[in-house]
Amino acid sequence: MIIGGGSTGLMISYYLLKKGVKSVIAERKYPGSGNTYKCATGIRASFTSREHIALMKRAIELWSELKDELGVFYERSGYLWLLSREEDLRAFKTYVSFQNEHGVPTKVIDLSEVKRLAPTIVTKDLLAAVHDPLAGKASPFDLVLQSWRFLVEKGCKVLMGVEAKKILMSGGKVLGVETSAGFIESRAVVLAAAYDTVKMLKSLNISVPIEPVPKHAFITEAYRDLFKPLIIDWSTSSYVVQTHHGNFLVGSEIPEKPGDKPLSRLEFLRKASKVWTKYFPWMKEAYLLRYWTGYYDTTPDHHPIIGPLDGLEGLYVAAGFSGHGFMMSPSVGEVMADWITEGRPKILEALNLSMSRFREGRLVKEAAVFG
Amino acid sequence: MDPEKVVVCRCEDVLLSDILKAIEGGYRDLESIKRLLRVGMGSCQGRHCLPIVARVLAKATGLRIDELNYPPSRPPLMPIQIKCFLSDGNEE
Repeated sequence: MIIGGGSTGLMISYYLLKKGVKSVIAERKYPGSGNTYKCATGIRASFTSREHIALMKRAIELWSELKDELGVFYERSGYLWLLSREEDLRAFKTYVSFQNEHGVPTKVIDLSEVKRLAPTIVTKDLLAAVHDPLAGKASPFDLVLQSWRFLVEKGCKVLMGVEAKKILMSGGKVLGVETSAGFIESRAVVLAAAYDTVKMLKSLNISVPIEPVPKHAFITEAYRDLFKPLIIDWSTSSYVVQTHHGNFLVGSEIPEKPGDKPLSRLEFLRKASKVWTKYFPWMKEAYLLRYWTGYYDTTPDHHPIIGPLDGLEGLYVAAGFSGHGFMMSPSVGEVMADWITEGRPKILEALNLSMSRFREGRLVKEAAVFG
Repeated sequence: MDPEKVVVCRCEDVLLSDILKAIEGGYRDLESIKRLLRVGMGSCQGRHCLPIVARVLAKATGLRIDELNYPPSRPPLMPIQIKCFLSDGNEE
């Protein structure tokens, strides 16, 4: 049984099914309603930890397969990291060489190359950029709706509007889950419920170091294709991506306290507008259609918690993705299916991401986070 | 009226027949139908089309409007140009 019908829960169910295991998903609202439908849609392996790179290289292979298997929109349209400060360029040169050593083909490019990738950009404040041609974007709508339909057709259950209330244990073993629709018996229970994971485990006296940090995004009306890559302005922690449909999805970091209620803030609209109209003056004329907020469920080391929980047989966690859950969901699905059916993931780096790392002080470092 | 000739969502060109097909395909909530068909994702952000879709869905499923996951209203109230958020409206 899986608690949470977002991209993570659905992909765990999908890769369990590939191993012949049929699962039940309990989703409190509707599939995708948590973080998945609010995300920025980007997919990249250009991280700075072995763990993130290993998981994301595998995810990128699987995204290609999902495109064929489920008809999910996915394209390797790249990421472009804009750099305007000497110290950032120096740091990114070391990230790029680390990424290249680990098979991620990023490279530092000059401004003429930036112009080629985003022809309408104004580059006067830039020093250089980093291009990641392996990165890309996918439709969260397609992933959720297509995998949901597929799972139901194959005999899995996706229970919509069913809230998990309490995990029942006996003698250190999972018995099942008490839900708003009654008790569901299961010998293996996966918590893929974002911040609700923390609340569920609290009732078992387990504290999970995940903090929900409010994040902001807006989307404009649709335009013809103006640039392919997801573009990041590193110095302001901002991004813009043109969706498959043509709309521009924009995010920008403003100061927020973990746990605060996300409110609509003019400060965000002002900052994001200033950053992106400087690079793309035509964007001043674009109409903003919708502004929404979501969360990065952030762990102390910005890496997810994936794997079993020590001493609690049959209980697993996949949460705390720190803003990278959607992109990672296919390989996380595969890793969790491995844990459940074989007791060990095939991607060995995933062993470093279980809950026990916090107790043992084995945190993993990641520098390339933004938004 | 022929459902293939009734336009429910003018921004994204969604027909009544598309909505009925989605309902037949098993979709029972507005949030999912919105993302399947893009109904309510254009310039009107559902102000015009979603009440119609809600009625069609309620009628077909027997569910009440408040059981359909009606998408929340989000800012802005109307589409607004990005330059309105720049301090002088024309900032470099």
